[in-house]
Amino acid sequence: MLLSPPHKPLTNGSEGTSVTKRGPAPADGRPWPWLVPAVAILAVFYAVPVLDVFRLAFSDATLIRPPTSWTAAPIRALLGNPALPEVLVTTFVFTAVNVVALQAFGLAIALTLVRGEARGLRGMTTFRTLVLAAWVVPGIANGLIWQMLFDEAPYGTLNSLLGFVGIGPVAWLSDPGMALVSAVIANLWQGTAFSMIVFYAARKAIDPVIYEVAALDGASPWRTFRSITLPLLRTAIAVNTVLVAVQTLNTFDSILALTGGGPGRATEVLALFTFNTVFYNLDLAGGSVLALIMFAVAMALATVIHGWLGRTA
Amino acid sequence: MKARLGDVATYGGLALLAVFFAAPFLWMLSLSLRTPAEIYLGAARLIPDAPTLGNFRHILSDPAFLLYLWNGLKLSAAGGALAVALAIPAAYAFSRLQFRRKQAALVAILAVQMISPLVILVPLYRWMGAMDLLNLHASVIALYGALGMPLAVWLLKVAFDAIPVEIEEAAIVDGASRLQVLTRITLPLARPGLASAFVLAMVTNWSQFLVPFILLERDGDWPISVAIFNFAGSVSASTTQLLAAACLVAVVPAVAVFVGLQRMIVSALVSGAVKG
Amino acid sequence: MRPIILATAIAAAPLAAHAQDLVTRDRVGLPDAPNVMTFRLTPYDLYSADAATAEAFAELFAAFIRERPDWRIETQLQTGNIGQEQARLLQQTQAGRGPDCAMVDSSQLALFEQTGVLQPMNETFSEAEVADLFPYVREAVTNDAGDVLAWWWFTDLRVLYRDTSIVPDAPATWAEVEVAALAAAEAGKEGILFNGGRWEGAAFDWLANFWAQGGRLVDETGAPVFGEGENRQKFLDAVGFYQGLVESGAAPQRVTSITNYDAFNAAAAAGSAAMFVGGNWQYGQLRTTLPPEQFANWAVSELPGPTEDQRATGTGGWAIAALSEDPAKRALCGEMAREVYAGPGNAYQGLLPTSAALYDAYDAYEGPEFNLFAEALQNGVARPGAAIYPEISNQIQILLGDVLSGAAEPEAALDAAFAAAQAAYERQ
Repeated sequence: MLLSPPHKPLTNGSEGTSVTKRGPAPADGRPWPWLVPAVAILAVFYAVPVLDVFRLAFSDATLIRPPTSWTAAPIRALLGNPALPEVLVTTFVFTAVNVVALQAFGLAIALTLVRGEARGLRGMTTFRTLVLAAWVVPGIANGLIWQMLFDEAPYGTLNSLLGFVGIGPVAWLSDPGMALVSAVIANLWQGTAFSMIVFYAARKAIDPVIYEVAALDGASPWRTFRSITLPLLRTAIAVNTVLVAVQTLNTFDSILALTGGGPGRATEVLALFTFNTVFYNLDLAGGSVLALIMFAVAMALATVIHGWLGRTA
Repeated sequence: MKARLGDVATYGGLALLAVFFAAPFLWMLSLSLRTPAEIYLGAARLIPDAPTLGNFRHILSDPAFLLYLWNGLKLSAAGGALAVALAIPAAYAFSRLQFRRKQAALVAILAVQMISPLVILVPLYRWMGAMDLLNLHASVIALYGALGMPLAVWLLKVAFDAIPVEIEEAAIVDGASRLQVLTRITLPLARPGLASAFVLAMVTNWSQFLVPFILLERDGDWPISVAIFNFAGSVSASTTQLLAAACLVAVVPAVAVFVGLQRMIVSALVSGAVKG
Repeated sequence: MRPIILATAIAAAPLAAHAQDLVTRDRVGLPDAPNVMTFRLTPYDLYSADAATAEAFAELFAAFIRERPDWRIETQLQTGNIGQEQARLLQQTQAGRGPDCAMVDSSQLALFEQTGVLQPMNETFSEAEVADLFPYVREAVTNDAGDVLAWWWFTDLRVLYRDTSIVPDAPATWAEVEVAALAAAEAGKEGILFNGGRWEGAAFDWLANFWAQGGRLVDETGAPVFGEGENRQKFLDAVGFYQGLVESGAAPQRVTSITNYDAFNAAAAAGSAAMFVGGNWQYGQLRTTLPPEQFANWAVSELPGPTEDQRATGTGGWAIAALSEDPAKRALCGEMAREVYAGPGNAYQGLLPTSAALYDAYDAYEGPEFNLFAEALQNGVARPGAAIYPEISNQIQILLGDVLSGAAEPEAALDAAFAAAQAAYERQ
């Protein structure tokens, strides 16, 4: 590198393996001028809208009619709506499965890539590019692509392929349980790249010396993974868990194109339900209540991440 | 020998994964090269008997399609740039200045990142309607800036943290102001971090459906991520082959940007991401 | 195969050369024409993904605008996501940002009328023209004062398609359909296909079975009544028909994943299905996509009913409505509906005009299938013009998906759907 910073002893234990002094300079400036743009944006685009959502949740507003009266009726109506528990359960399952699967995939790919690169194997960059390519597919296109793949007609792609090897046919989108699995697969295809990058970066940041020592000690790959890689990736996994959970929670465009939420309500997640309530049923008040639920879930997850960061810091 | 076995296992695992990640693209390619007559032959005809580029020709000769692509590129790039620009001062303060509740403020910014665009769009749509701000690319770009800023603050803080503070101190001793230090020293050094924050924001914008769909009411303004819906579900023609071609074309520009910049992005992330 | 490639390449040129200056992707007419009308249209005609259709409409529009050189029409496309698109069209119009003229789905006309956004086009359409409309069409596009609030330019209906090499005789009752479909299923085909996924088409196509028994979704005041009184049993019977088809294997499980009519064309092309419930417009599509000898096997018949005499079919289609108060724009909107869409546009696409006179005016309507369509239209039922209909449809889609995939029992699903529709009605 161009820089050759003066070497100083490590004074800050939380900086992991770095050996030069990095990080914040001594406090010698007022933070406010620097923070103004960010705070202004947060206020205009987040704080005030969220407050307005609170207000609308108590109104009788529709998208084509401004609010005229203020009651708790929309909240009561929505909490009493039997569809809500169903949607929440679907959302929870969809999110939970994705969080686990996305990270397992992402971690496996990241570690394999690092190993392949260390061994000088060819094709690693190509593979990484392939995974990243799926990431930049727009959500709607993702749903459309997988809808073609999951087509259950006798000439449908996956089912006719499975037919060659004597399996199937699989009710990819017509069985309620399977439809949710299919939605997860589509999301996995697109979303793995994010976790892969995060873990790839975190793994690369681990000092190679540690692995050399482990190799000298004759540690098995599994043991190295358990005792070195996994513990050192803990923070990355914690942060990534929350980020991926929120991304998944907010996803609905691929489902919209893939199943429209069906069959029945089998794949109708909270975000899709909210979208439909506001922009299809025009029910602004009801949609605001749902938006509040989404907001509450996001804030709960943020609290979780706060706890994690607090512990690791 | 053991390492050799490991290599074989590595390739084996990657091959399986490669099939999963490549299959949809290959299938789209297969469909997009078919004539309507061959669409219904399914997987039995992976390589069409009568391959045609007519579907791509149709898509690319449609001026609207090119316009959608351009809109998508413009909105996502401008939105990503705005997000980074807005994030720079805050990220710098978080990295270099000491102030009370800094950690709490950082977490608060991350918490904001978790709010779904859907939540804030409900009221924003009404306000923008009232203020005549709908149907403007500037509105979408502004919202992209706001949506992308929180994550950009985090990424940039990490990038700034990785730059040795002594370099800045030397400049300050020479009489430079903080702002000069930031623009002349820190930002150039943080280029990889800036690039990765920009590209991450841009990719998110590129796939955005909700924001442009709600804020832009005229099809001529749409980015491809919304317009692709038009190529699906038309009841007057069987257009699977066109849809497949459209999906492929919709992906290519973003992939190109990514392939061009991925070394930079990945190295930026490696240099310190997720330590925060 | 060569000619096909060549044909595709030629057809791929976007618009005919001589229409090119007048018709672009966002405008019809000369760019500097002094008068402008904005027009929100569907992606099925002028900007169809099918090049031949797009070209034919480009010529029609070019001819139309050549006679009105001081006008240009700025076109805005809506996506195929009809429910949401229509909702936002209404919402924009109310907020004063709507187009001057727009395509309105026939099922949405009542909602648009209630909100008062439709502007009369009385100057354009004569009393004789209005009188010649099919009764249900006339009722939907006029108000009590006799104003013409929209021009419903084509109608459509659902029919039963069958491959006569497998099912020679048209089944007339539910029971006959099941028997024929089961026989086909045993022969290794998909017995019968229909829309069962989460979209408007699933609810709409199925409703014919409910309407055939005289069932009603809403009462005169627009309140939902489909889950009470005598409607309840009719509803359950109609659900039972579809449920029986899936449970017996007469219809494949995959119907709950079908969310577009294209799936039926595909099945017909692949020769994998014996029957399907499709739209009349698909007959023309089959003619152009199937090889002639394969197409010859396909026939259409009226949708089956519980008995031979109880038949119904859902009728839909699109209307063109003026949303601008400017009389000149209203007139242009109406003239466009008549001169581009209702007559030649319909004839080109093989869609069904809404007035009897047009069937005699064009050769395109000489085929025998149009006799059947005309006959079936006698039993046509339009979706109720009630503001609550979209939510009822949503609930029916959910109910069908749940029941057909075995996730819910019909009775419980109906109770839930009815309760939800009532709750939504009370909140309106």
